Amino acid sequence: MEQTIPIIQIRNCLLVSIQTELHDRLALDLQDSLMERVRVTDAKGVILDVSAVEVIDSYITRILNDIGKSVRFMGAECYIVGIRPAVAMTLIEMGVELDSVNTALSLDLALEKLELLQS
Amino acid sequence: MKTVESEIAAILAGTISAITQRSIFNRLGSLAALPVSQLTAADRLTVMNELENSVRLFARRNSGELIASCARALGAGAQATNGNSPAGGSVAAQAAAGAAAQAAAATKRFPIEQEKDIATARLEAWSESVRIGLSKFTSVKVATAVSELARNIVFYAGKGAIELRALRDDRGSGLQITAIDQGPGIDAKKLQEIWGGTYKSARGMGKGLVAVKKLVDEFNLDTAPGRGTTVTCVFRGER
Repeated sequence: MEQTIPIIQIRNCLLVSIQTELHDRLALDLQDSLMERVRVTDAKGVILDVSAVEVIDSYITRILNDIGKSVRFMGAECYIVGIRPAVAMTLIEMGVELDSVNTALSLDLALEKLELLQS
Repeated sequence: MKTVESEIAAILAGTISAITQRSIFNRLGSLAALPVSQLTAADRLTVMNELENSVRLFARRNSGELIASCARALGAGAQATNGNSPAGGSVAAQAAAGAAAQAAAATKRFPIEQEKDIATARLEAWSESVRIGLSKFTSVKVATAVSELARNIVFYAGKGAIELRALRDDRGSGLQITAIDQGPGIDAKKLQEIWGGTYKSARGMGKGLVAVKKLVDEFNLDTAPGRGTTVTCVFRGER
């Protein structure tokens, strides 16, 4: 079965909730379709909700950074929301950086920050 | 009549959902319907092993107390009909020791061949970590390390295996993770680049091993070109 990750539009933001195992092809598809949607909708922000992701390793970090970079190239801002405390601690210990994306505690806060950015 | 199910259900009520309890009793099979007074020592051990695993996994807190209460309930029934059976407390101790010995001896092996095996190994490692009593944070680290190691196997070696072993030695309890493959191995020059942080693989990674080494308490890498790679690492419980 062909699996895709839905992209939802809220005003001029695109919202992606990651509820599934991110593997190579799925991650590339997501990156592709996100860039296309940013182009078509003229979105100012992309929010990736990872609150359902229980483990983020260096590979997933790289995917998130890549998505962040490509969104930024399109002139939009990328926010990662909902990183779990244990996941954050683990990322710090591993010494991997999420430096190509912004982070916010919750979806609400990310939307707030994006709105401030536009006004 | 006091059956195993009625006694245990009374103890677990409010801490473990009815649906989860149902699955625990299903796994106990015919033992669940037996009157507590008819349990043999071997039955009791089987029931306690199963309960210990499930309670550790599903109870949000007080799993130790719950397990002890279950052991007492099962042991006390035997005492009422059989004067010379051991007291509840020591049955609990016996059952716990039996379960611990069994866990220590068992090595669980998970073959890794494709991307979906990574998720399986990760979940198994997580529940094993919780089962042997490592903290929630440590269990997330365990799952992350297994994820990195399993990914390395899929990406670089094609196939291999992850082995999990519960440790109980003079340094306390812990979980040993071994990642084995017969892939291309890593040569000395590449190793130097990996530890120096300058290595970038075709898939843009090369950070996995460094990340794992930073997460674990003990780390050993055995590799050579043509001989495959074995990574052994250990997570220790907090003391």
